[in-house]
Amino acid sequence: MFSNLFLAGASEQLALGNMLFLLVSMIVLLLLLKKFAWGPVSKMMQDRADKIAHDLDSAEDARQKAQDLESKRQEQLQSARTDANAIIADAQTAAGLQRDQIVSDANDSAQAMKATATAQIEQERVEAMAGVKNDVAELSITIAQKIIQKELKLEDQKALIDAYVAGLGDK
Amino acid sequence: MDEKTAMFSFAGLTFDWSVIISTTVAMVIVFVLAVWMSRRLELKPKGKQNVLEWIIDFTNGIVDQQAPNSTGRGMKFYIFSLFMFIFVANQLGVAFNVNVGGVTYLRSATANPLVTMTLAMFSIGIAHYLGVQKLGFKNYFKTVYLKPMPFLLPINIIEQFTSFLTLGLRLFGNIFAGEMVLSLIWQLAVSHGIATMVPAFALMLAWQAFSLFIGAIQAFVFTTLTMVYVSEKTEVEE
Repeated sequence: MFSNLFLAGASEQLALGNMLFLLVSMIVLLLLLKKFAWGPVSKMMQDRADKIAHDLDSAEDARQKAQDLESKRQEQLQSARTDANAIIADAQTAAGLQRDQIVSDANDSAQAMKATATAQIEQERVEAMAGVKNDVAELSITIAQKIIQKELKLEDQKALIDAYVAGLGDK
Repeated sequence: MDEKTAMFSFAGLTFDWSVIISTTVAMVIVFVLAVWMSRRLELKPKGKQNVLEWIIDFTNGIVDQQAPNSTGRGMKFYIFSLFMFIFVANQLGVAFNVNVGGVTYLRSATANPLVTMTLAMFSIGIAHYLGVQKLGFKNYFKTVYLKPMPFLLPINIIEQFTSFLTLGLRLFGNIFAGEMVLSLIWQLAVSHGIATMVPAFALMLAWQAFSLFIGAIQAFVFTTLTMVYVSEKTEVEE
């Protein structure tokens, strides 16, 4: 039974030609498949794998670049903010200084004006006083002359002159 | 099973028309299918290209499971072709059994023991060849015949033959038995006219479905075992 199965109907002779035929045709099939089907398809699959890998790489690259840009932008924003704060602080300081300066200048000039005014007033007062004194003296003299012209007599003045001369002698 | 087949002799060798025709038809179908599916390839696959790539991914998976290395990469094409051929040849006999005047001309090529033994020889031969190529003859001999113990040499030699025999006969047995049952069901169908035709039709349907399944499984098993033998012989056990 087994030998009958094994030889599969080839009662006279083992069909070794079948083996040869299969071997040759198998090799031909392999060559044809490789050339017309396997080659192009596996190349395409490889291309796709490469493309996907490349795309993933470039996506990672782009992500990295975006992150760098983002952090740089953040940094710039931060420094801009710091700069702005510094500028504002400087401006405030400068404004404060200027204000103080202006106030003190104003004080000084007010002080000076006040002093000048005081001095001027004093001066004018003195001048006025002097003017008044002269006027009074002149007026007195004029009045005195008027009086003297009218009633001056030697006998009346004799005692006064004497008293004056005596006074000189005492000194 | 004493089916008659048409034989002829050429250059001292006996040829068998049923095997030649069945093998050629299966190979033509494989080639035409593969070429048709690989026309107008695109980077973004659709339709038939997806099917072909799914098959390739499947057979590549068989290879990668056993030998995820450079040897495996070289085997991918052979495993793909072998799988396609065995699968198509297995299914051919489920659909067709061309019988003219008691002589079969077209059936599953893999229902012939010589065909399956030739395929097994091919696979085992490649495994041994790659073993020698990768490890060098000395290491190959040590790995294949002197492991795990040198005194197991005779058993290891016998094992090479048994793995070759089982690889071929497993495929042959499954497909041959499937066809045999199909022809028995056919004989039942025609034995008593319409009375047996109807139940036999249902039986035939069920058995053909099962045969499709078996054909796919056997193609998978054959290629997987081929890769097992290859990885066994190309990897030094630690």
